[in-house]
Amino acid sequence: MANGSVLDLSTETDGDTTVVIPSGRIDGSTASPFQEALLKLIEEGKGSLVVDFENIEYISSAGLRVLLLAAKQLQAGGRKIVLCAMRDHIAEVFKISGFSEILAIHPTRQDAINAG
Amino acid sequence: MEESEETTSEAAPSFEGEPIKILVVDDEVDLEALVRQKFRRRIRRNELVFDFAHNGQEAIDKLDEDDDISMVISDINMPVMDGLALLKQLNETKPNIRSVIVSAYGDMNNIRTAMNRGAFDFVTKPIDFTDLEITIDKTLKHLALVREALSNRDQLVALSHELDVARDMQLSVLPRSFPSTDHYKTHGLMIPAKEVGGDFYDFFTLDEDRIGVAIGDVSGKGIPAALFMMACRTLLRSRALEGGTPDECLRYVNDLLSEDNENCMFVTLFYGVLDTRSGAFQYCNGGHNPPRVVHKGGEVVPLPTTHDMALGVLPGHSFNSDTLQLQADDALFLYTDGVTEAEGPGSEEFGEGRLDSLLAEIDQADCKDVTSAVLEQVREFAGENPQSDDITCVVLRYHGI
Repeated sequence: MANGSVLDLSTETDGDTTVVIPSGRIDGSTASPFQEALLKLIEEGKGSLVVDFENIEYISSAGLRVLLLAAKQLQAGGRKIVLCAMRDHIAEVFKISGFSEILAIHPTRQDAINAG
Repeated sequence: MEESEETTSEAAPSFEGEPIKILVVDDEVDLEALVRQKFRRRIRRNELVFDFAHNGQEAIDKLDEDDDISMVISDINMPVMDGLALLKQLNETKPNIRSVIVSAYGDMNNIRTAMNRGAFDFVTKPIDFTDLEITIDKTLKHLALVREALSNRDQLVALSHELDVARDMQLSVLPRSFPSTDHYKTHGLMIPAKEVGGDFYDFFTLDEDRIGVAIGDVSGKGIPAALFMMACRTLLRSRALEGGTPDECLRYVNDLLSEDNENCMFVTLFYGVLDTRSGAFQYCNGGHNPPRVVHKGGEVVPLPTTHDMALGVLPGHSFNSDTLQLQADDALFLYTDGVTEAEGPGSEEFGEGRLDSLLAEIDQADCKDVTSAVLEQVREFAGENPQSDDITCVVLRYHGI
């Protein structure tokens, strides 16, 4: 449930690429801090942004919106967002909503970094 | 006022942020130097700022000019306007200011009058500055609490007002009746979550043979989601009633919603049209959970998706329609993820499995009984867990030619 959801965030860098590794749930209650964190990383970084979904258990439409917003910000600066390592049920959310058509999704973090 | 003993200011509580401004009102001109000296440490630490007036009228003039003054310390006997008259005015015109009155020791008459006119507290002459400081701190603490309570109240009022507006908007656009003929029946329900989301559904009676059904789920919550939902619903309705095919309708809605969509809001939207003369159901699925097809006899399958995008994201996206042939007494069950993602004990989700089993079980029930059975079972499953998302379900059953 939205109440009491937890989302932790760690980051790494690989050259110019920033890798974000959120863990937990991206839903109505965590989407807003998640958005703030991503936009800050985008502002501070120079290259692509890789979001590693390995530890994400759930993403709601509010979370998808944050990714779209991040993609738009990055594109405006000629940069890319690349997603990776999604569990099957998370990948399904991207597929049903059609967002897998417009957001690059790779099986592993290394693939994502290479693509960024 | 007169001087008495030494004061100590070391034990005083500290006030964060802006200094507190206090107006001292006394016709005794020496008092100003004394106050500045006694409170010098706290003045230097920028905790307190003092201003001075020499009678009630001068005090009123200063208060009219300076909104930052929080507290007044006033003598009683003064020329032009005395302290009791000042209190009366303050009580009537400046309710946010707290005042402390300074009176002669044992002058209970004036102290009573002052308290009755709204003084917060009093100190006696000769002034004990330690006592005065304790009184000031007590008054300021009280003021801080009052302000906090007021600001919480205002925020709460604003917030609950916003929630009410969003909820009203959402409920106002739901169909008030459920179209039905000898050839089909419909029903739908939407239970908004506490924090209002953006679910909606709609039916369009296109002509005597064709019925359109739509369901949508807007990303986000509150007024922005409600506004986006209303725009989506109005656009869809206008294009649908003109007779657009599902893909044409979604394309039209998508192009308009994508314009200037800075916040990247989006809506997953499913729209389909049943032609009761043939049982053909033509539909387009813009990123929404696949509806369930409940075949007569209890077989439940997801409606094959048209693999289209959620709306509001990609202007110019071209959508596709598919057609499913319904047989007499087949039904379609449309829903939003508030149904399948409702959480029960141990964070387990209600899920498609439970939904499909239930739909199979109640195969031929009245449309209204189907939606209420689903709602009831979701609620039972969720138990004590709060409802975090809108729950919407819609049924359209075809009864044949």
